[in-house]
Amino acid sequence: MSDPRHILITGASRGIGRALACHYLAAGDLVFGCSRGASDLVHDRYAHFSADVGDEDSVDALFKELRGRIGTLDVLINNAGAASMNPIVLMPAKKAREIIEINLLGTFLMTHAATRLLRRSRAGRIVNVSTVAVPLRLEGEAVYAASKSGVETFTRITAQELGPFGITCNAIGPSAIKTRLTQGVSDKQMQALIDRQAIRRGAEVSDVVNVVDFFLRPESQLVTGQVIYLGGIG
Amino acid sequence: MDQNQIRDIVMDAMRTTNLARPAESQLEVSSTGPIFGAASPLDSLGLVALLLDVEDAFQSRGFDVALSDASAMSRTRSPFRDVPALVSYIDSLMSARP
Repeated sequence: MSDPRHILITGASRGIGRALACHYLAAGDLVFGCSRGASDLVHDRYAHFSADVGDEDSVDALFKELRGRIGTLDVLINNAGAASMNPIVLMPAKKAREIIEINLLGTFLMTHAATRLLRRSRAGRIVNVSTVAVPLRLEGEAVYAASKSGVETFTRITAQELGPFGITCNAIGPSAIKTRLTQGVSDKQMQALIDRQAIRRGAEVSDVVNVVDFFLRPESQLVTGQVIYLGGIG
Repeated sequence: MDQNQIRDIVMDAMRTTNLARPAESQLEVSSTGPIFGAASPLDSLGLVALLLDVEDAFQSRGFDVALSDASAMSRTRSPFRDVPALVSYIDSLMSARP
């Protein structure tokens, strides 16, 4: 069996982040999770940190603690996200700022800090989470989709800047999927989204895990700067 | 830590960086050597590699130093333009600590 990887997942207390944490724990990896709140995930190879990825001081404190435990990081999964379905005219500026800070600034802050540890890995990997709301230009998701557009551009440029260190950076854009972020979307709206896909079924967390697994494979060394959408959208 | 000690660590990091650089684009390891600009062989990615090596060198001695600055890429104002400027910058970071 190969050495366990050191994997850091943001937004790990629930939804896709928690599923990814459980998946990599089952694979034998050492997993570090963070979220603004606590986690009830208990495992001898899991450690959870309370951190706000959109806050520089909080991210600095997280990495200070992490550096005390590990000298190398193999994988960073920037999964933490915020969304609010609202037309532009009705979107409070405070909420818009929060979405941008968590989704875009958070991805930057985590990448900025994690690069120091990732470059010591033989196969450093960064996986960001985008959304099909970007290519679909969904009404009511302007700020959320714009923040994720930023994440996609950030992904591509990160791939260029960190490529010389052997670090890849890719993004996955889940299609319609039932998570906390989409709990405000009605079944009818979800079905309308699914009807726009080439493969017309709702996504499961396992579909996301499958793509992340692909990005993390050692054989994926030349796969970088890519955004993969589920369901045939794009 | 005084500026002489900081300078020694910076120059150690420059030697580390040179190990991964081709013979024709080695950094000049000296107390006044250029780091970034017309007189240096480093491009922006090379500068990043050096600064990460510098951070590592300080960390291995028990000091957390984070080198990021809004004027990093400025040819005239960058705190990374030469060894004296970088030493002075790191000294200011360490002095500002509570």
